[in-house]
Amino acid sequence: MAGSSPSDQRPLLVEARQIWKFFGAIAVLRGVDLTLRAGEVHALLGGNGAGKSTLMKMIAGLYRLDRGELLVGGADASVLTPVTARQAGIHLVPQEPMLFPSLSVEENVLMHVPGNRKELRARLETMIAEIGAGMTLSTQAGQLEVADQQMVEILRGLVRDARILILDEPTSALTPREVGKLFGRIRALTAQGVGIFFISHKLGEIRAIADTVSILRDGQVVLAGPPAAFTDAEIVAAMTHVEGREDFTLGRAAAPATVGPERLRVEGLAGEGFADVTFSLHSGEILGLAGVVGSGRTELAETIYGIRPAARGRVLIDGKPLAGHGPRDSLDAGIVYLPEDRQVSGLFVNAPLVWNASALVLHREGEWLPLEKERADFAEQVKLLGIVCASPDQPVRTLSGGNQQKVLLAKCLAAGPRVLILDEPTRGVDVAVRADIYRLIDRLAGEGLAILLISSDHEEIERLSHRVLVMNHGYPGGLLQGADITINAIARLSFGVGANRDAAQ
Amino acid sequence: MKLHPALKRWESVLALLLVAEILLFGAINPVFLQPSMLLYATSDFIHIGITALALTLVIITGGIDLSLGSVMGLSAITLGILWVGGVDIWVAAVASLAVGTLAGVFNAVAIHLSKVNPLVITLGTGFLFGGAALVLSGLAGATGYEGISNFDPAFVNLANLEVLGLPLPLALFLVLTVAFMALLHRTRFGRYVYLIGQNPRAAAYAGTPVFRTLVVAYALTGLMAALSGLILASYFGSARSDFGATALMPAITAVVLGGTSIYGGSGTILGTALAALLVGYLQTGLQLVGVSSHVSSALSGGLLVIVVALRSLTEMGRVWVQHRRVLRNVAAE
Amino acid sequence: MIIRFLQRHREASVALIIVLLFAILGLVDRSYLSLDTVLLVYGNSLILFVLAIGATMVMATHGLDVSVGSIMGLAAVSAGLLMNAGWSIPAAIGVALLVGLLCGLINGALVSWLKVSAIVATLGTLGLYRGLVHLLSGGSWIEDLPEGFKALTKAGSLGLSVFAWLVLVLLIVAHFGLRYTAFGRSMFAVGDNRDGARLIGIRVDEVQIAAYGLNGVLAALAGVIFASQIGFIPNTAGTGMEMRAIASSVLGGVSLLGGTGTVLGAALGAYFMTSIDSILVLLRLQAYWNDIIAGAILLVVLITDGKIREAVDRLLRYQKYRKFIEPPAAGHQADATKAGLSLKTSEARK
Repeated sequence: MAGSSPSDQRPLLVEARQIWKFFGAIAVLRGVDLTLRAGEVHALLGGNGAGKSTLMKMIAGLYRLDRGELLVGGADASVLTPVTARQAGIHLVPQEPMLFPSLSVEENVLMHVPGNRKELRARLETMIAEIGAGMTLSTQAGQLEVADQQMVEILRGLVRDARILILDEPTSALTPREVGKLFGRIRALTAQGVGIFFISHKLGEIRAIADTVSILRDGQVVLAGPPAAFTDAEIVAAMTHVEGREDFTLGRAAAPATVGPERLRVEGLAGEGFADVTFSLHSGEILGLAGVVGSGRTELAETIYGIRPAARGRVLIDGKPLAGHGPRDSLDAGIVYLPEDRQVSGLFVNAPLVWNASALVLHREGEWLPLEKERADFAEQVKLLGIVCASPDQPVRTLSGGNQQKVLLAKCLAAGPRVLILDEPTRGVDVAVRADIYRLIDRLAGEGLAILLISSDHEEIERLSHRVLVMNHGYPGGLLQGADITINAIARLSFGVGANRDAAQ
Repeated sequence: MKLHPALKRWESVLALLLVAEILLFGAINPVFLQPSMLLYATSDFIHIGITALALTLVIITGGIDLSLGSVMGLSAITLGILWVGGVDIWVAAVASLAVGTLAGVFNAVAIHLSKVNPLVITLGTGFLFGGAALVLSGLAGATGYEGISNFDPAFVNLANLEVLGLPLPLALFLVLTVAFMALLHRTRFGRYVYLIGQNPRAAAYAGTPVFRTLVVAYALTGLMAALSGLILASYFGSARSDFGATALMPAITAVVLGGTSIYGGSGTILGTALAALLVGYLQTGLQLVGVSSHVSSALSGGLLVIVVALRSLTEMGRVWVQHRRVLRNVAAE
Repeated sequence: MIIRFLQRHREASVALIIVLLFAILGLVDRSYLSLDTVLLVYGNSLILFVLAIGATMVMATHGLDVSVGSIMGLAAVSAGLLMNAGWSIPAAIGVALLVGLLCGLINGALVSWLKVSAIVATLGTLGLYRGLVHLLSGGSWIEDLPEGFKALTKAGSLGLSVFAWLVLVLLIVAHFGLRYTAFGRSMFAVGDNRDGARLIGIRVDEVQIAAYGLNGVLAALAGVIFASQIGFIPNTAGTGMEMRAIASSVLGGVSLLGGTGTVLGAALGAYFMTSIDSILVLLRLQAYWNDIIAGAILLVVLITDGKIREAVDRLLRYQKYRKFIEPPAAGHQADATKAGLSLKTSEARK
């Protein structure tokens, strides 16, 4: 593997000097320096909100930089637009595929590509065959699995002969086999002199493919160099505030002091994207639900809550089957679900905080709004959860991500849950709020709540859960308990590797 | 109460504009300032305000109702047909209101069943209800400008009745404004209206009765459109199928000018009520100073474009200024 | 197969329903499908055809234009005034089309640059442009249009007038232009996924403004055809046409949510809307039945289409999740045990 060094003679494709970017009053990038050479794979690593995606979108011309210099191929590119970025050979494969759902794969890939249709189509067909993607040119993009949609995005870049390819977490929805194929493709491209930015959360992948790694934290590059020069511990330390992290190191979750009576029982449940799921959840217990994106975790949670239909199986609360199957029935039975995407399905972002906090309990009051009580209840929640806000009437969107998440928690807790399903409860929040939420989850379990914790963060699962159910391609991949709950075990089960061996141990 | 945030509210701007407008027209033509003029001029446009009140609810849910003009005509014709058929005028009036309400329920059910955009569905029901009014009046042999007339004098006199010194339609509008304010801002139903418009998905996750809320919102719009049809029938002393043909666009204008987002989720009843008066008096005032009614309607169209564009521009400007300030602060560091 | 087809061609289900209706009407009365009737309805549909092409383009970009009726009126009045002032017919028509272009560009700029919602922006310009009509005409009708101008809609070669030929060419050009040119495709891309279109380098604002601009030109052309057809220009020229244009396009499978639709479908919708008159004659009904029938058919088509799409979606969802949902669970782990079981039972049977 060719390492990148200061004496590297390969031509510079991208050079960023002291880049600043603001969203409103918040600095997202604070003086970032970064380079990309021809044939180099430059990995970017960092937590949520570290500024990786913003930086990449800027290089793709989607955002304009506020201060600093950006050179592409040696020429000034400070006022890059999506159009000029494209002309400069830059192609961004976004984290969430941005396809045209009603158009075919062919139309999606070849849209806006100059050249002879027939030739392009022939090239595209060869590429699909080479990659071994399971799609045809006429498949409608909206019907593809997420992994294939991501492939279509990558194909777009390949067809355009991009010289600079930006891959924003391309592997998050891929299986290990697909990741292998993708890496083969990346190596072939770099051999042709293409430079690649590669965003990932996975250290193993970065060590396997990257020549250089830059670690971002709070909008700054805190560590850069060839991956081999750093140990895993050094990299993790650079990514996270060590000082901040100390605060909330819970150590391992102790077995619950007292396991209470069974609250939730799921028997042979099957639905959209999962099947054969059976487990029970007791009062005072935190059951972790792990697995890669697309393994059926969220679908399972939404089926329990009644947003999606169940095909088979039963959900029992306190030994009794649910009366009906809709969110309202679940709420009445004491099951509350905190959705994974707070902006999309959790919060009313333009509504006042207090409206959000009371949204789940309105139907328990009379026809007239209990305006006074609503405010009093919210004030209590502000104290309890440490929500930082100026007024109960300000819209949610004016809060930071962490405080928004606390408002969402307030909304869920107001319903007085007996079973709480938390789907990615710390996504996109800063370290301090993460600590607050961990403490809260711990305390709620201590108070006898039954908690189902869904998370992609294996560390989070490891720290908080008393038991862990790992989902693998829609089926239960294994159950971990006590000392068996390790990050490695969770990861192995998620990918279906060595499941039997683990079970045998 | 602090004055500042209150003054910043859009409703305050509308109220100031309304006062300024009345004073301006009064300065050009003092007749405009006579109380009887100001009060009775409302009879020409207050039906639009009454319909706009209910339309505000629908638009806040993220929907729209293009059929309300047709419902006005349908309710007036229903009244006429029943009256001609020998039904007691008050029974006929109640029946007309029921028809309007049913039309609204039909809208909500069709939207719910088809999962098609409310704009398209109510475009279709607009043709349907308007067509039904045409057929009814055609079958009764009442076509053209004549319509159906010779109503019970007691009914025709309604529009000229005074309540506490106010013409009945205006009094009705004021009472309804207060009622809709209470409904939207003080009841659970009103809160659901906002939540559904803000984020229908989050509303579904929160177990909100989405369908029931929509049915009520559209039914109220149908009811208010029917009431407006009756007011017009009483005011003109006749019922025509094309009564509402020109009411749709001004009603939407009043709602949007009143500060309700066409995308749903925000808006107030007071804003709609003030905007309805603002646009109505603009038309009356312009006609009084000698501008033709067609040109005055153009000016209210222009007003809508300018106000909405200005609000959009100020928002962009606000973001830009904030951005500049942040950059300056960083440069100073 | 059929599911696939319906999924790919959203307009197909609507077109199918319309063709079915035509077939039924043709069975009831042969003359409905005769060349004479078709030509007659075609001639009466010219205005709606032109408007439907524009509506299709604007709606493809996830836009909407309710001001086309007023643009029609404004263009007609401009052309009429100029012709009566002694301008040549082509020059007057040219100016009218430019007026339409300007009106459309204003709509587009309001929507794209000033971020005003499409319905609000064009609702405002609907009033504004109509007011200009009255200002220009001074409130009176414009009459005594040149005979040469009126002749443009009189039947000529092969029974079609000059404008009828022009519209036919326009329909063909627009249909294939929208499907097979880069610009046509980019309009659909903008409506389908605005951010995605931006990402692949499409100038989304410009594309959208261009769609509104072209729509303005087409509305102006419709106004000119209208003036030529009736021979004078009332102040109300074009009033209410926006709703008919949108209804035609929707009937023809163009989605208001952007990204789908064809000119052919919209033209079918327009033809159908116009042919309701002929249907009334067929059913021996009075003319006042027109709107209620149009509304009822529009709703039936919309709700049927909605139901078909729902069924297609449900089926596709089922296929996607089949291995989880189907009663005998078939996954990799369950598979193994099930395979073992079935092996045993089959052995036992032996």
